[in-house]
Amino acid sequence: MSDAPDRWSLAQRRLHWWSAALVVLTGVLAVLMVWLPFSEMLAKFLAYQLHKTFGLLVFSVVLARLALRALRPAPALEGLSPGVLRLAGIGQAGMYALLLAVPVLGWLAAQAAAGPVPTTIFLVIPVPHVLDPNPALYAWLRPVHQVAAYTLLGLAALHAALAVKHHRQGVPVFRRMGW
Amino acid sequence: MRRAHLRRMGFYRRALLPVLLAPAIARAQQTTWLLNQDNAQIGFSARHLGLFSSHGRFTRFEARLELDATRTTDALVEGRIQTAAVTLPFPGAEDTLRSPTYFDSARFPEARFSGRAVGITDAGAFTINGRMRIRDIEQPFAMTARLAERRRESQGDVARFTASGQVQRSAFGMVADRTFTADAISISVEVQLLV
Ligand code: HEM
Ligand code: HEM
Repeated sequence: MSDAPDRWSLAQRRLHWWSAALVVLTGVLAVLMVWLPFSEMLAKFLAYQLHKTFGLLVFSVVLARLALRALRPAPALEGLSPGVLRLAGIGQAGMYALLLAVPVLGWLAAQAAAGPVPTTIFLVIPVPHVLDPNPALYAWLRPVHQVAAYTLLGLAALHAALAVKHHRQGVPVFRRMGW
Repeated sequence: MRRAHLRRMGFYRRALLPVLLAPAIARAQQTTWLLNQDNAQIGFSARHLGLFSSHGRFTRFEARLELDATRTTDALVEGRIQTAAVTLPFPGAEDTLRSPTYFDSARFPEARFSGRAVGITDAGAFTINGRMRIRDIEQPFAMTARLAERRRESQGDVARFTASGQVQRSAFGMVADRTFTADAISISVEVQLLV
């Protein structure tokens, strides 16, 4: 058709799957860390730190994905109607927005919580905090982060289901985005 | 609230602090100050994994400060803390602290301390030596105190004292979570007295 490549670059494909794995892992850790009783404080603390670590990695990986996407034209895609392509585009743009917003909201929520706990990457690299504990703000940020996160997970599940559906219809989406 | 309380305490005011802060006017007759959560704070903090500290408080306690009439630079201190009235700003933390592995508040509702402040001055630090009883285990306990501030308010001069010390929680049988929480727990006390 045009001079657009016929699949996503290797870096783009790898980063897509890395970010998908990290988002799912971060979500699982979120449920685990909240579920663990305070008396299991070491495990609970580590689950929080890993949640924050992987969540912040999502943010960095997605920045890299957006940079790569800006540098290289998207591969041409045939076999889908313009309406479906448009919807897919909107869904993917929504995912990119949430992939950036959810970690930022989480980072802010973590600092606003009444009990100050540092944010680190793997307990080693300290991540700066810019807010003081602020329970009123936390009462707002925490549910917003949570709802945004579940929206992201829901959208990603829908996206994955549609990808499988299109693959079954013979649209070569997995050839384009396969690992 | 605090003002009203301080005024009520005015009854005791001719005791310790005039002696201590302005020895010239000492006439030690009344010898007791009453302290509680309205005019004092008791806080504690713990280090976790060497990475950060958590800070909590006791919100119900009462203590007496008694002037030793024979030695105006000394005072007796005695207090009781309701171990269930503990705050720590993490969800679930307070229940854990009240549970059998920590204060075991159901069995040991009170922690107690008693001691003697020695060599009280209005400049520099002085020591409070005494004993602390937590979970029915008594251990020696010392704090370093100082007069942090003295200011004039409508009902008189208010003196703010601070004191700090450390306990090893394991000495009181609190041995849980030693990987996560250091053994040494810092205790800090702040007291406002109308003098
Ligand atoms: C949390 C999980 C996931 C997230 C956040 C996510 C996000 C994204 C985004 C933002 C794009 C658009 C790429 C672009 O246009 O720059 C994309 C493409 C794609 N995703 Fe996912 N994804 C996830 C999981 C999955 C899963 C589980 C599958 C497969 C079952 C999948 C299959 C695909 C495919 C095939 C494409 C390429 C579509 C095309 O060729 O244009 N994704 N994904
Ligand atoms: C893609 C990234 C992320 C996802 C999908 C995500 C997901 C979630 C979810 C689903 C919850 C609610 C858990 C529940 O109540 O069951 C949550 C809570 C939370 N997240 Fe995230 N999160 C992400 C990134 C981050 C980051 C980067 C941070 C901090 C640096 C963070 C900090 C928090 C905090 C503090 C809570 C509140 C936990 C509590 O109630 O104590 N999150 N997250």
